[in-house]
Amino acid sequence: MTEQELLSAATEAVVAANEEKACEVAREAVSLGLDPLRVINEGFTPGMREVGDLFERGTMFLPEVILASEAMVAAVAILEESLPADQREKTAGSVVLGTIEGDVHDIGKGIVATLLRVYGFEVHDLGRDVPLTSFVEKVAETGADLVGTSALMTTTMVGQKALEKMLKEAGLRDQVKTMVGGAVVTQYWADKIGADAYAENAQEAVAKALELAQG
Amino acid sequence: MSTYKVRAGDGRFISMTADEIRRDLIEGSEDAADRGGIPPLEENEIDRLLDLFLDQAGVVGVQIGNQVVSTQDGGDHRINADAGSCGLALAIGRIQELHLHERAFGQDTIELGHIDYSYKAVRPIVAQEQSYVEHALLTTTSPLMYGAMPNLGLYYAPDGPYANPSDLLPAGKVKEALAAQEEASLHAQRDIVYVGTRLADSGLDAMNLDTSGSAGDADFLASLNAAEELKAKRPDLGIEMGMASEFVLGMHGRLSYKGERLAGMYPHDQVRMAEAAGVDVFGPVVNTNTRRSTPWNVARAVCFVKACVQAANIPIHANVGMGVGGIPVLDTPSLDAVSRASVAMVEIARVDGL
Repeated sequence: MTEQELLSAATEAVVAANEEKACEVAREAVSLGLDPLRVINEGFTPGMREVGDLFERGTMFLPEVILASEAMVAAVAILEESLPADQREKTAGSVVLGTIEGDVHDIGKGIVATLLRVYGFEVHDLGRDVPLTSFVEKVAETGADLVGTSALMTTTMVGQKALEKMLKEAGLRDQVKTMVGGAVVTQYWADKIGADAYAENAQEAVAKALELAQG
Repeated sequence: MSTYKVRAGDGRFISMTADEIRRDLIEGSEDAADRGGIPPLEENEIDRLLDLFLDQAGVVGVQIGNQVVSTQDGGDHRINADAGSCGLALAIGRIQELHLHERAFGQDTIELGHIDYSYKAVRPIVAQEQSYVEHALLTTTSPLMYGAMPNLGLYYAPDGPYANPSDLLPAGKVKEALAAQEEASLHAQRDIVYVGTRLADSGLDAMNLDTSGSAGDADFLASLNAAEELKAKRPDLGIEMGMASEFVLGMHGRLSYKGERLAGMYPHDQVRMAEAAGVDVFGPVVNTNTRRSTPWNVARAVCFVKACVQAANIPIHANVGMGVGGIPVLDTPSLDAVSRASVAMVEIARVDGL
């Protein structure tokens, strides 16, 4: 297998959510003495990007995305063993996530949590109907880069505004970026309450989170 | 250059030129065509939509003779209850609310529904709902429907007996998440069929399986299986199936009905499944993008619904309300947007009702 063929095989293994094949490709890359970072960045990562695109297009679904992610994680673990410690993959960032107090809708929030993990974030999912004080406490405890809140009702979205104030009062607002989402939440609302980002759907939430975490 | 006031998807008024509106109409239609694998709107249809948005009247309507029927969903608590984000909290009872819908608002069907609006919540109090059905039938003449949601979310922890896929999937417990959804789907089917047969025995005209698919493909499957079973048990009971969104979310991903995978289906495929289950009226939903204009959203919604109507052999009653059918996300949907979307649904998508 040439290097190019191996990179293609890595991509295909992730898209097929085939953990066994992904690990086999990773082991072969190590045995051929290929640059592990190149195999990760040009083989496995494009596969995960394609998975994200297929999810966005509605031709690949959440359970398959998770299996694809597990395939990639297992393969990357093999490749990382041959990397110096300082070059090993770090998390993309740390996120505190939850559905705002009074709101029990958590399907969309759960999808966002899953995709954030898939893209390498450390996710502290507080669940649903989460008291505002719990968000503040978790941000303080973890030193998270981002806090994301979901609201599906006009009666609960006001909690997102209150959280902005509470984070300021706790002296944490300058250290953490805020993201808002949910069926009734809009860009206009995010701008109005001073949130750092709004995402229309889970895929966009990941893109915005990556942007904020790098920024 | 002249500008025209239109709504943004979040309800604000924005100003656009005629060229900008036309561009958004074309892009909205093309987005639906691209996602759904369906034809975009024809040029003359774009022209008609453009006319609707360049007309700055507060309310627009269809020509006399082109009116369609309107079915009402959401139960009998729009007027007598205050749900925080909707409802008027008038001090009237449930039956009086039905009278208002029938006699003051001119709805073509009226709908009873429990305040929780979920079949699971109705099951333990179905005897009380039966008495409301009987009282309503004695004092109304419109077809009487009973509406509620399959609402699979209520079957998962902490509200129900099955582990929550929203907890299991992020934890990587894929097999357990799939099993929980399969069990919850069967449980919801049993509840819907139980409630449906009891209400049919009290003389109910039709059931409304509203927001089908809200918790993904297992939720949609529960609705389809329940509709099929109800039709077999009570053939005279009408069934309307309203959807939760334009796209069946693959929370499970591998569930099928009549050999077809449900995840990823758009309205023109959803309606074929509903027909196969014996559904009598189908209510497609197309979601509003709050960052795009109403012209973009209406063109997109009409494009999806037109394909649904063309694929259907049963009446199509498109959902046009807050956040769906091209309508902005506002607690009280604005009449200017609702009337334009409604006209477009009737004249271009050729829906049978709203």
